[in-house]
Amino acid sequence: MTTTHPPATLTAPRPSQRRARMRETIAGYTFLLPWLLGFFLLTFGPMVASLYLSFTDYDLFEANWVGLDNYTGLFSDPRYLKSVQVTVTYVLISTPVKLVAALLVAMLLNARRRGLGFYRSAFYAPSLVAASISIAIVWKAMFVDDAAVDSFLQIFGIDTGGWVGNQDLTMPMFVLLALWSFGGPMVIFLAGLKQVPTELYEAAEMDGAGAFRRFLTITVPMMSPVIFFNLLMETIGAFQVFGSAFIISGGTGAPADSALFYTLYLYIRGFTDFRMGYASAMAWVLVVVVGVITVLLFKTSKGWVHYQGDSR
Amino acid sequence: MKRTTLALAAAGAAAALTLSACGGGGDTPGSDSTGGTVDPDEEITLTMTWWGNDDRAARYTEALELFNEEYPNITVQPTFSTWDDYWTARATEAAGNSLPDVMQTDLAYLSQFGNRNQFLDLTPFVDNGIDVSGMSDSLLASGQVGDALVGIPQSTNTLALFYNPATLESLGVDAPDAEQTWADFVDWSVAAAEAGASLDPQLYGTGDFTGVFWLFVQHLVQEGIEVFDADGQVAFSEQDVVDWLQLVAPLRDNDLFMAPEAVAQLEPLGGFTANLFATEFSWDNFLAGYLADSGAESLEMLPLPVGSTGEHAQFFKPSMLLSASANTQHPEAAAALIDFLTNDPEVGAIFGTSRGVPSSESARSQLSAEGADAQVIAFEEEWADVITESTPVLPEGYGSIEAEWLRLASELAYGNITVEEFASQWMSAAQSTLS
Repeated sequence: MTTTHPPATLTAPRPSQRRARMRETIAGYTFLLPWLLGFFLLTFGPMVASLYLSFTDYDLFEANWVGLDNYTGLFSDPRYLKSVQVTVTYVLISTPVKLVAALLVAMLLNARRRGLGFYRSAFYAPSLVAASISIAIVWKAMFVDDAAVDSFLQIFGIDTGGWVGNQDLTMPMFVLLALWSFGGPMVIFLAGLKQVPTELYEAAEMDGAGAFRRFLTITVPMMSPVIFFNLLMETIGAFQVFGSAFIISGGTGAPADSALFYTLYLYIRGFTDFRMGYASAMAWVLVVVVGVITVLLFKTSKGWVHYQGDSR
Repeated sequence: MKRTTLALAAAGAAAALTLSACGGGGDTPGSDSTGGTVDPDEEITLTMTWWGNDDRAARYTEALELFNEEYPNITVQPTFSTWDDYWTARATEAAGNSLPDVMQTDLAYLSQFGNRNQFLDLTPFVDNGIDVSGMSDSLLASGQVGDALVGIPQSTNTLALFYNPATLESLGVDAPDAEQTWADFVDWSVAAAEAGASLDPQLYGTGDFTGVFWLFVQHLVQEGIEVFDADGQVAFSEQDVVDWLQLVAPLRDNDLFMAPEAVAQLEPLGGFTANLFATEFSWDNFLAGYLADSGAESLEMLPLPVGSTGEHAQFFKPSMLLSASANTQHPEAAAALIDFLTNDPEVGAIFGTSRGVPSSESARSQLSAEGADAQVIAFEEEWADVITESTPVLPEGYGSIEAEWLRLASELAYGNITVEEFASQWMSAAQSTLS
């Protein structure tokens, strides 16, 4: 904090300015240092290390160069292909379902009614805890035989005999867990809805457009940047689901690998089988695939995302 | 996207562990030690870890208090975790050369760590700090990896056929015969399951025991088939696997096993401890736990069914060992702790048979003469003459191939794969793991 010194070197403005700028730069980087250290030591460094390790047979003790073996091995590993299938299914189902639910609830909460503040908090609350370990445990307890969900369904004459342990009901259970935590995108949608000028709706109503028509031709286009943002974030997030899968399947992907999500298999390979090189290769394939999907989404966005002030 | 790179964290964690490992004590590693006893004036802190439940933790705490009375200058800092997380934690520590001074180890992982010189060679301490006079040479040899003695066996166990007399009574069937063959037992289970089909809740003869890899290993030993060769490769054939899995075809193909969906609902109990299965194959030292979990009035044990030679041909397996870290600063103190936990009669009384039947005679001498402990000891004494074989030497990577066997057994139970697919998938996984 030496910046309060009087400007004693007024007679030579240029070097002093340079020195001041220099000092500012140093101060800036000094303040950045904690973050930079963290980034390079805990994120960038390990990423580079993992890229190298993905070409080795690193087993936590020694690493021998094996070239592309880990990468080519992935595609002849039936469990790897299964984990891809489970994860892609989950992304394709849970992301749209969650976004539609979030948008619909956001529209309900955008209306002017009494007690809205309460409802907004109430609908947002689950997403605060949904990613936690305790909820995964509660979720599992809710879906076993004769527990809450099963008893409820029995009222309608549906006896599932418990969802946990039934390989056909594993995926619906995870999708419901994702759906239940729609609060995050909902809040963003709500903020987006507030930005849509009401005169657009009024004008459309004057022209005789019904509620559905107004939704399709005003809400959706006006909201498209927000929808795009949520779609991107939720897709990336869905590829990385780990905690709930780990807890509910007991860390194994059980029953019969129906909960073998990509990151869970990565964990099993790395930390149960100690095949860190293989796990690193899996991590890099995921990084690249998620990167490619993000780029593709951005490409398609030119066709359907409208920013205000656009000529389209 | 940071979380996608979970594996990257491993490298970071390893680095952090290396750094933290530098924090303790001097710089001379203890592996050059020549054995001997502890200097009573030196203030020493040892770290120690084991896997197990709260019950085991309470017993260890009690035992470590006794140790501290005997060696007031040594403080032991204990940690523990469940079996599932245990080896993950040890592997990351080993990568950073920061294993605890003393730790509980298992045959399945002993060579994996031993081959990489992670464990202290305890040979210099034999009868010079660690008293092994109370255990047999063949048992002590199971702690050997290469030329180094890296683990002191704490206890032994052997496989047994458990049955629940109360469940048998509900089923109205007699107990299985001790001299039955495997096929006899399957026939018995079919009859029991058919009797149980009309009951509420439905009762079963047994669970699908072919999914227990150790039982398959024991069966191969009975048949005189080599399990692993000297290079640590699988020595039995794919057909041996198929034959073993087909043993229970009369049960599997006629839905006389409880559905896997239903078994999953019983967790954390199993079919036997939920009192729904009349029998179960398991390690004999599980008796106390099974009695507690099931609430059954009594459980009985029989030796395994006989192989085609008519012999039981069972083996004692060390149920756990104690090892010291190659990087310990206090090898003499670590050895003293291992010796105490192995041989002290009072420690023997504290653990009972919960870790298996104690390996050392002096620890065995104080076991209670009643309850589950007495029953396990009586079982092993009664059937001592059928325990004629020694445990096969387990290759590095045994833990992984055992886990793969269990996973495929689950796929088989759900009907996702056939017996032949099980055998070929397991074989190729084992070959790639053990190579």
